[in-house]
Amino acid sequence: MAAHDVMPDTQLYQPVELDDALNLLHRHRGEGWLLGGGQDTYGWLKDRAKHPAAMIDLNGIDELRGIRETADGVEIGAVTTLVEVIEDAGIKRDFGLLTQAALRVASPQIRNVGTLGGNLVQDTRCWYYRRGLACYRAGGNTCYADSPQGMNREHALFGASRCVAVSPSDTATALVALEATMVARSRRGERLISADRFFVGPNTHITRMTELKPDEILTAIRIPSKWAGKRFYFEKVADRNAWDFALVSIAAAMSMENDIISEARFVCGGVACTPYRLRNVESAVTGKPLSDESAEAAATLASHGAKALNHNHFKVPLMENLVRRAMRA
Amino acid sequence: MDLATYKQDVWGREVILGASWDLLWLVVVAAFVIIALHAVAVAIRRREAKPSSRGPRVARHRGIDRIFHWVMAISVLVLLVTGIFPIIGLEFSWLTIHWIAGLVLTAAVLFHIVRSLFWQDLRTMWISARDLKEPFDTSQKPGKYSVAQKSMHAAVTVLVLLVIASGLVMFAMIDTPWWDRTNSIAESTLGWVFLIHGLSTLALIALIALHIYFGLRPEKLFYTRSMIKGWISKNELEAHHDPERWAPDKSS
Repeated sequence: MAAHDVMPDTQLYQPVELDDALNLLHRHRGEGWLLGGGQDTYGWLKDRAKHPAAMIDLNGIDELRGIRETADGVEIGAVTTLVEVIEDAGIKRDFGLLTQAALRVASPQIRNVGTLGGNLVQDTRCWYYRRGLACYRAGGNTCYADSPQGMNREHALFGASRCVAVSPSDTATALVALEATMVARSRRGERLISADRFFVGPNTHITRMTELKPDEILTAIRIPSKWAGKRFYFEKVADRNAWDFALVSIAAAMSMENDIISEARFVCGGVACTPYRLRNVESAVTGKPLSDESAEAAATLASHGAKALNHNHFKVPLMENLVRRAMRA
Repeated sequence: MDLATYKQDVWGREVILGASWDLLWLVVVAAFVIIALHAVAVAIRRREAKPSSRGPRVARHRGIDRIFHWVMAISVLVLLVTGIFPIIGLEFSWLTIHWIAGLVLTAAVLFHIVRSLFWQDLRTMWISARDLKEPFDTSQKPGKYSVAQKSMHAAVTVLVLLVIASGLVMFAMIDTPWWDRTNSIAESTLGWVFLIHGLSTLALIALIALHIYFGLRPEKLFYTRSMIKGWISKNELEAHHDPERWAPDKSS
């Protein structure tokens, strides 16, 4: 399947009100495609692997844009660009974990147009799926990446259920660590979904990566002040330093009291279909200081339960090392 | 409306993907129409006096057979809910529940096959030429099971065996506590497996709807009671069965 240079013939809608966008989504049920920065979308369309009848461009809707302080933290509109998130002084000061994660997304050009919402809801990068093959995720009945001949170097260590694709989002791990809440709107009203529950694995939704229903739009991301100014660590390991997806990444938020970790959230990217909470690491480090000794103890727990595929065994020591590095004083 | 859906395999060849789930609505509507027509037909027909459930009782189903029936019923219902609900949009983490219920059904069916072959009389479920006269001759009374019950049993047997056989092949494709998935079945073979599993499931939905309907009909309710409590009254036996063809104390 050759990539095409031109866009396919499709209807473009540019609503300026959220309600109009929701009505358009309802009208084109199953055939409409929400457009943010387009960095995930255009690849799909140019490869002719997806064929939406209508594109609904959300960029003209003001209420979906911008960063606002709230009584309990901050709210970021879903079509706020990644560069706007990175440059926001308040986010940099209080939620530097998100700044660091956003800074590692793709390339400067992509961060200029790519949106936070788009980065969160982007589809997986499994090349079998992206190529348009009828795998489980595309509504088929097999997983090519998980076959004996499958190339699965970038695929999942945890939570595989028929499909072994991973979540490609860098900002998702940070937002799960920061206990963010996703705001979803549909014609039925508003729904708040915790970041922990927002990303879903193939055991529940094999053709979707998020809890968003087909008639819902992610409108905003709320980050509570609970983790503001705490100790953060983000690191992403990829084949290239720019314009590449994580092989494994880690986002850690730690609340310190007298140099002791009183509460922690460790989240790995690139190892499961969702941002993967390292709950056993979180329990193990609580009450411990940042030290090589506690880093070592926590690291060995990180990969507990991992089921490596034919070509991704390297991810096991990689995630252990990332936990070690996050725990170094 | 197609029976199957198709896809292109990794080499670009067209292969079967599975059953067309558009058929689900056809099956649901067809079952509803049949049930409605039957209900209307029975309602306008002259009602016969219902035999009393009081008085002496005879055994119809032994405890072990009743347990088998309800284990099978629950496992089939769980399998249908976990298999069909995600298809109609009620999504949840269904796969583990589905295969556990599938194993329960498989074990129950294996138990039933062994028990039928060695401890029960297979002829009580066999459809004979005499049974076929029942629907057309009201003087013909059945033995332990009516021709309708035997036909239902035969159809459910075939469908359940198909759904179990195809389900076990699919079971090999997922991780379980006993093995890791291999995912090495050819796509064309897999399509047939999914097709058989899907079509037999659709047929089972229709049959189970009919089974539940007949089980809840007032004139048949004594059969359902017998599947719970194990007995029917002697009056019910005499009204609905031929004592020469079924002597409960000997056969049950």
